[in-house]
Amino acid sequence: MIFLKFLPAGLAYAFLQVVLRFKEETELARRLKAREPEAMAELYDRYGRLTYSIIYRVVRNTAVAEDLVQETFLRVWNRVHSFDQQRGALGPWVLAVARNRAIDYLRSIDGRMSAGALELDRMENPALFSGFEDSALSIDRARQLKNAFEKLTPSQRTVIELAYFEGMSQTEMADRLKQPLGTVKTWVRSALKILRDELIEAATA
Amino acid sequence: MTCDELRDMHELYSLGLLEREEKGEIDAHLVRGCDTCRKNLKDALAVNAILMSFSPDLAPPARVKRRLLASLGVKRAGWGWLGALAAACMLVLALWLGAEERRRASELADARHSLIEISVQRDRLQQAIGFLNDPETRPVSFGKGQPAPPRGTVLVNPRSGVLLIASNLPPLAAGRIYEMWVIPKGGTPRPAGLFHSDAAGTALHILSGPLDIGTLGVVAVTVEPESGSSAPTTTPVIAAPVAGL
Ligand SMILES: [Zn+2]
Repeated sequence: MIFLKFLPAGLAYAFLQVVLRFKEETELARRLKAREPEAMAELYDRYGRLTYSIIYRVVRNTAVAEDLVQETFLRVWNRVHSFDQQRGALGPWVLAVARNRAIDYLRSIDGRMSAGALELDRMENPALFSGFEDSALSIDRARQLKNAFEKLTPSQRTVIELAYFEGMSQTEMADRLKQPLGTVKTWVRSALKILRDELIEAATA
Repeated sequence: MTCDELRDMHELYSLGLLEREEKGEIDAHLVRGCDTCRKNLKDALAVNAILMSFSPDLAPPARVKRRLLASLGVKRAGWGWLGALAAACMLVLALWLGAEERRRASELADARHSLIEISVQRDRLQQAIGFLNDPETRPVSFGKGQPAPPRGTVLVNPRSGVLLIASNLPPLAAGRIYEMWVIPKGGTPRPAGLFHSDAAGTALHILSGPLDIGTLGVVAVTVEPESGSSAPTTTPVIAAPVAGL
């Protein structure tokens, strides 16, 4: 399956994009809220590339990816007024919007629309993306997650991939993979547990 | 359901993938202000962001940014022709800046890439990132296209100084150290700090402090005795021309 090629090259860039920047973003968020287009240019410089990488991974079409990147940033621009500039994290928010826009597009061409669109919209609420603990978005955390990810079995990776980058519910995965729903749920649950346990272990080590 | 039973579901919840009943369970906890679930949701959102950022790195064409900014120009002003004019000006400006911007962006991206390969202390890495993010920072790469000699990037910034990121540095003999030099145009080299490379031959070195970029000629690195020298005593292993940035 082509989507098994998780990880490799993006990691280094990704670290720096998401992880290290979020502490320095109060001022950028303030300027975005003040509707300064230059702030938008800066936001794009920070996250445009990563956003494009994620969206392309989902839609696998450059023209569509370009449009969706624009849509992502416009959405952020139009909703930034309710972003918490003191305690918010722009990166996770922008990435979530990007991923959701891409999934929404996939669903629309697959005819899988409906209630899901509303749900995605709700999960992009800027208010959700505040109050992270420092350690949750640290460079160490990214390293731990990468290590943990490498411990996953192929089945576990597949379901993670299908969830994050194909936007499939567990029922849809069971369909696609021709596996009982219970099996799929076990894979998802155990995969997330491995990721989480690695983090907890690292935090208490 | 208990918070513990819901623990496995926050990632799917935040990806909008839970079935109605499970989603309802989490909603109920969040609505009644359950702190455990709130924290678990934040953790899940952070995990999501990091996992997604492991995607293969791909650069968007420059037109994406131009189009984005152009569309904002119009929307923001919203005064008909004035907005359109602003957008047009921005587009021209973007086109004009395009080539230079692309060169810088790709060099800065390279620098970011190599940064991660280097094992340095966290605060120094943070300092380096601050450096990279400063719009005043100008990158110059050296050693490109050469297989063996040191490769990397020198970044200069009028307010914060010089950041050197190098790889492929030859191992040092005992009692030797690398020394960086800032050499003004037509002037004598000024010592700019000592550093070692790590086992993999990579190094990150920062000279902090304001810098007169206008008079700057070359940033160089030589191998010196461990206590450092006041003037270079060997042929530079790195010489990055930084004039005219
Ligand atoms: Zn709870």
